[in-house]
Amino acid sequence: MSDIDNMQPIMKMENVSLRYGIGPDVLRNINLELPRGSFYFLTGKSGAGKTSLLSMMYLAQKPSAGRVSIFGNNVNFTIRNSLAMFRRRIGVVFQDFRLLDHVSAFDNVALPLRVCGMSEKEIIVRVNELLRWVEIKRSTMSVTSTLSGGEKQRVAIARAVINRPDFLLADEPTGNVDSDIATKLMKLFVELNKLGTTVVIATHNENLIREFNYPQIHLQNHGVTIIPAEGNGYV
Amino acid sequence: MFDSFKTSRHKELPLSKDSSNLFLKIMISIAVFLFAVTLAGVLSINSMLINWNNSILGSLTVQIIPVNDANRQKAAEDALQQQQKVVALLEAMPEVKRAIPLSDEQLKMLLNPWLGDDVDMADLPMPRLIDVKLHHGAEIDYNALAEKLVNVAPQASLDNHKLWLNKLINLASGIKMLALSILILVIGVTSGAIFYTTQTSMGLHKDVIEILHLMGAKDTYIAQQYAFRTAFLGFVGGIIGVVVAIPTIILIARLAQQIEGGIINEMHLSVGGWTAIASLPLFSALVAMQTAYYTVKHTLERMM
Ligand SMILES: Nc1ncnc2c1ncn2[C@@H]1O[C@H](COP(=O)(O)OP(=O)(O)O)[C@@H](O)[C@H]1O
Ligand SMILES: [Mg+2]
Repeated sequence: MSDIDNMQPIMKMENVSLRYGIGPDVLRNINLELPRGSFYFLTGKSGAGKTSLLSMMYLAQKPSAGRVSIFGNNVNFTIRNSLAMFRRRIGVVFQDFRLLDHVSAFDNVALPLRVCGMSEKEIIVRVNELLRWVEIKRSTMSVTSTLSGGEKQRVAIARAVINRPDFLLADEPTGNVDSDIATKLMKLFVELNKLGTTVVIATHNENLIREFNYPQIHLQNHGVTIIPAEGNGYV
Repeated sequence: MFDSFKTSRHKELPLSKDSSNLFLKIMISIAVFLFAVTLAGVLSINSMLINWNNSILGSLTVQIIPVNDANRQKAAEDALQQQQKVVALLEAMPEVKRAIPLSDEQLKMLLNPWLGDDVDMADLPMPRLIDVKLHHGAEIDYNALAEKLVNVAPQASLDNHKLWLNKLINLASGIKMLALSILILVIGVTSGAIFYTTQTSMGLHKDVIEILHLMGAKDTYIAQQYAFRTAFLGFVGGIIGVVVAIPTIILIARLAQQIEGGIINEMHLSVGGWTAIASLPLFSALVAMQTAYYTVKHTLERMM
């Protein structure tokens, strides 16, 4: 990572709009800048466009108009292989998990390491350690489709953080877990943030927003407003 | 093409369960079977052509038959005159090294076994023969030469056997070209089938491919999984095709040998030919692998 890279915001949107096909604008004229090391909640009603906004951040969608820059690079002018390299620095917990159902929990979590060619020996150590931490103890080798909703969610979170990402995006990650596990997962994100990871978490969970006092990117009427944290934020 | 062999072991894409696998395996088996039998044909025709070419290359004979005239003397003189014209024509050709008419003595020796000693040659309508040697490697269009000869010497003709063999060579060369185009066609059709089944499979596994991309996989990572799987199908299909083709080739060769005339006897497969046929599964695996690999790369380049 170069010095210039370090000074750039992790993610920047300039006059960004997004629509699906010939549909109406889901997001309109968004201007947003996420400084390195920041932590945001992403809030807004269901259907407000949280998932859509995140999908541009994790490079699954290109904006219909405007400019998205990731790690200081305009995604519209980035070649496919470089996009792949950027994605390796981004961890994502998808709202619908997007796990590979036909392989084991272990293989799902190992995936981000395998695509960048890490040795199987190192993968085994790192994946098993993290799976223990998210409390997937039994059946790390059985097929993912047999896991419960809560287990799948924890596997999805483990996959998102296994590669120690620079940028972590989570789409309602605490939706299917009970509140003490939700708090534990949030503490994982906070730890990663302290180590330098920029974090954006879409959530409906008012308790979490209150408990972990971070600024919000609030989506409303196709646009964003930043709601600052009350007081000094989470300590 | 591969970053490392190790990465091709990754199997996030559940390709071994694709329903098109059976179709591809059968398709490739049939293609390799056809390819092997046709290839055996091409190789046999080739060895036959080499034999025939060797027997007609380098030399030919022109004969001039005297007209059946009551005036023997005039007919013989006429034949001699035509012989001179033919020799002049032949020697002017760049392909011809030398054209030497056979002397009366040589003719007598040639005919002796049939006619015996005590025949007066002057009483017979003796054909004149010209022995023509060609430059090394020179080829001659026999039909064109025959026409030219008749223009200068109406009684002149080319050695029949060679002319006939030349026609046979033309026929065999034509069949060979046809067989070669069948080989190319078989490769083309099989590659086309692999192209479409690969694209269909990619549509089927769209979600998995998207997840792999989002995890930072490059296109090659996905292409390798397809290449590996399809190479396997190509190899297995190739083995089946060759295993069925070998007895078929032997059977056809047996049947061909029953044809009399010695032409087909010259048809046989060399050790090199059999080796080529036996290694077809490797070839089909390679073609299948390359086709799948580039299909995936080509198809992915149109996604984000
Ligand atoms: N793939 C898609 N194709 C078409 N419309 C979509 C797609 N994804 C989301 N939308 C629409 O975009 C709007 C925002 O959806 P989404 O980003 O999922 O909101 P949220 O995550 O805040 O619930 C919704 O009206 C939804 O119907
Ligand atoms: Mg959503």
